[in-house]
Amino acid sequence: MHSFKAAVFSCSAPRISFTAASRSIIRPASVRVRSAHCNTTIKAAPTWRPSSALDEWVQREARPISLRQLTFFGRSLTESRLIDSANYCREELPIRISHRLRDIQTLPYVVVANSDIAHVLELYRTAFERFRRVPVVRTVEDNDSYCKVLQETLKEHATVIPKLAIGMLEATKFMNYQEIDKFMNTMLRSRISRRVIAEQHLALTETFNSPWHFPHQSLLDPNTETVGEIFLRCNAKEIVEGCGKTTSELVRRAYGINHPIPEIKIKGHLEATFPYILSHLEYIIGELLRNSIQAVIEQPRSKDETPPPIEVTICETPQQVMMRFSDQAGGIPTEILPNLWSFSNSRRAKRIENLNRVPKLLGTMHELQVPGKSTHEIHMENANKSKQTDFSNYPGSLSGLTSRPPDLRLGIGLPMSRVYAEYWAGSLELHSLEGFGTDVFLQISKLGNKNETLTTRASMDAV
Amino acid sequence: MSQIPRPLSLQSQYFGRWCPLSVRKQSVLPSSRYARRLHTSTVTDDDIARLASLPLHPLTLADLVKHGRPPLSTQQLLSSANFTLSILPARLAHRIRSLRNLPFIVVSNPNISQIHQNYLHSLSTLLPWAEKDIKTLEDEVKFAEVMTDLVQTHSNTISILARGFLESRKYISPKDVTRFLDEHLRARIGTRLIAEQHLALHMSSQPHYDISEEDSSEAPSDFIGVIDTKLRPAKIVQHCEAIVSEICELRYGVRPHVVINGVPDYTFAHIPVHLEYIITELLKNSFRATVENGMEREPIEVTIAPFTQENGSRFESQATVNNSDQGNLDVVSKTFTGHSPPESTLNVDSEHIRPLARSTPGVTIRIRDRGGGIAPENYAHIWDYSFTTFNEDEASSTLGGVSPGIEALNTISGGGGDGVHSLAGLGYGLPLGRAYAEYFGGSIKVQNLYGWGTDVYLRLRGVGKLD
Repeated sequence: MHSFKAAVFSCSAPRISFTAASRSIIRPASVRVRSAHCNTTIKAAPTWRPSSALDEWVQREARPISLRQLTFFGRSLTESRLIDSANYCREELPIRISHRLRDIQTLPYVVVANSDIAHVLELYRTAFERFRRVPVVRTVEDNDSYCKVLQETLKEHATVIPKLAIGMLEATKFMNYQEIDKFMNTMLRSRISRRVIAEQHLALTETFNSPWHFPHQSLLDPNTETVGEIFLRCNAKEIVEGCGKTTSELVRRAYGINHPIPEIKIKGHLEATFPYILSHLEYIIGELLRNSIQAVIEQPRSKDETPPPIEVTICETPQQVMMRFSDQAGGIPTEILPNLWSFSNSRRAKRIENLNRVPKLLGTMHELQVPGKSTHEIHMENANKSKQTDFSNYPGSLSGLTSRPPDLRLGIGLPMSRVYAEYWAGSLELHSLEGFGTDVFLQISKLGNKNETLTTRASMDAV
Repeated sequence: MSQIPRPLSLQSQYFGRWCPLSVRKQSVLPSSRYARRLHTSTVTDDDIARLASLPLHPLTLADLVKHGRPPLSTQQLLSSANFTLSILPARLAHRIRSLRNLPFIVVSNPNISQIHQNYLHSLSTLLPWAEKDIKTLEDEVKFAEVMTDLVQTHSNTISILARGFLESRKYISPKDVTRFLDEHLRARIGTRLIAEQHLALHMSSQPHYDISEEDSSEAPSDFIGVIDTKLRPAKIVQHCEAIVSEICELRYGVRPHVVINGVPDYTFAHIPVHLEYIITELLKNSFRATVENGMEREPIEVTIAPFTQENGSRFESQATVNNSDQGNLDVVSKTFTGHSPPESTLNVDSEHIRPLARSTPGVTIRIRDRGGGIAPENYAHIWDYSFTTFNEDEASSTLGGVSPGIEALNTISGGGGDGVHSLAGLGYGLPLGRAYAEYFGGSIKVQNLYGWGTDVYLRLRGVGKLD
């Protein structure tokens, strides 16, 4: 910081005259930019330290991985497998983070000078330095210390999503929407991928270290339902039911215990089951149900009228599972439709305020003021979990979002859900019948053999 | 034998109201004798080049109704005739140029060549009028004959083109065919609409409608030419359901039924013939899929959802009718000739993109079936012309001779029992339906739930609030 200030003074210092007439003093400490919408304080921008290490890492390509690979890898958990997993993490995390670091560095100066983005830049830079310095993991003890590093960093980075979202909202003054959306999508995708890798490794370590794991057991117990974070038998119907109950409960708390809530009717191929990362699925379905339920409730209706149900249809083929969420909540006005998937659309001021209320999108429920039981506990109660997974000890990065109270409208639910859906080669589509209702189609690839969707360097460098 | 694709409005009970016996006898209805009696002048290449270089303006529904509500006065009728005259020749010339830019070997095909001749003929009947305005009623009647001839000459275009392209499939790729047809058929929608609108207004105008001979206490019609200002989509759906389920029963022995929900009483202003075509095609697809999937007990669900109106909505600024939706740009020529037509900068010029009138009510119609969805390998091709999951022999046989398939394509409307005997035709239903929907700024979206069924979302915009 100091060196920067010195630089400003020395190379561009005019003869500062102290006459009253001359107000053109360069204030090095901070420049207040007043705009109609917000006060952006451009502090002396984050120092740029030349780093040839970063340049080196940026050149390396990420090695995408598929759900199936993750599953097979974690199934027979021996010590050597665990070490291999640790070393994969060790390599991949710095590569992926270096790409994003470079992405932020190449944003326009004025955008990065914003305090939120600058904060994220610092976080990433520190994490990168930390990760690239980890020595080769050779023993279980090495792994344990590595895992500590991982966990700390994960916790530190819990604030990244709201900060990025706020920072980019404020950047709408300087960049156009498509650029912002492209940037946000890339950052999110990469973040999901790093967390998947890190959390999977942490979960495997936990399994390995847990009292009932036999290190010499090399064959998979056919009754295993989870491999780390991956739940092998996600049953679409059960998950929809679980999310439905949680969301309904949350909504009841916000609107009143006796407030009529639309029923969620599920039909179709009720047996459809597939392997997936449960927290991702619960997040997406939770967002979609939340949108529908809230929209239905907010429709004006007479006191005794029951709200129209939300119909969920599950459709299974050998390659995929498709879920259709169909509500009669009045649809989406045409003028909003183009901005639905954007991270940087209108209603900024309110959303910035709300985003500031979600301090960390992570499992620290105590900070969210909700009366009665914590929302996290409600969620745990209502979701169907197998006995072998002990999620309450490890909330994961999405549980904060999943169990936030309904009046906390962040405005990024749909684009985020889409990033999650597309992450494992799925898709999310929306059709609106304006004045009547909305249909949302979520497609999940069942086979798990598609690689994660990352933004490669080639596509980033291409115009 | 009904060869004339009269707009539904003319076929129906309104015909009697508008067209009293005295006028009918004057035979504004064509016969081939009249084609020869029309005054024509030779079309030179210069004419075509000159006319094709004129820019085309997007046509809105508002344009069609701006001359007034029927019955039109003489003045209004003449203004409608002059408006029609001012825009048709350029459009025809564009089509001729576009056709001439197709590969030689394709245009040599007798069918395609026939279409080319038809356009030349029509332009030749219009050229004598191009210099002057229509100022008298006699001129206007003659002009109406020209319009009738135009409509009749081009009534079989689609089937003839289909046959021509099928025969030339070795010489032109399906992608190029689709691109050409997308544009050509959209432009054709426009030219037919303009001509038929004027004809319908002509029939219902004061000079040609002897009020004293008819019951003058009838309520004013809701029609303005071919536009029905109180069109009820639910009624059209029921009408189409009746037709399609007949065919279905004929072919498969079972008859799925349709359930209409949403707001069945909703009405808006649109062209009944277009809507009928689209809904018939979509229902045909749904019925066939439903039956072949063994789900005939399941109803096909049609939801009618009117647009909501918001005060001062920014809806207008985003709702535009543009040249590419209406096939006015002739981008296809670029493919084959390698250079763009002279006014290709047109699409950037915002003056040519006309916003729709304020508060344009519209409707979304969702058709939901349990037909098992569309297989992924087929899904990529559903918008191709001549893509059909019927095998090629059947397709060829429906094209040859006087088969019902052709009749289906000729008549714009579903046409009663007029020979629509096949549920699957030549693969034109979806792309042509989309052309009709998109012509005035609507859309068709197909959402596939492979393994369960299909949802189709049809959005249509109406004409703005009329006085």
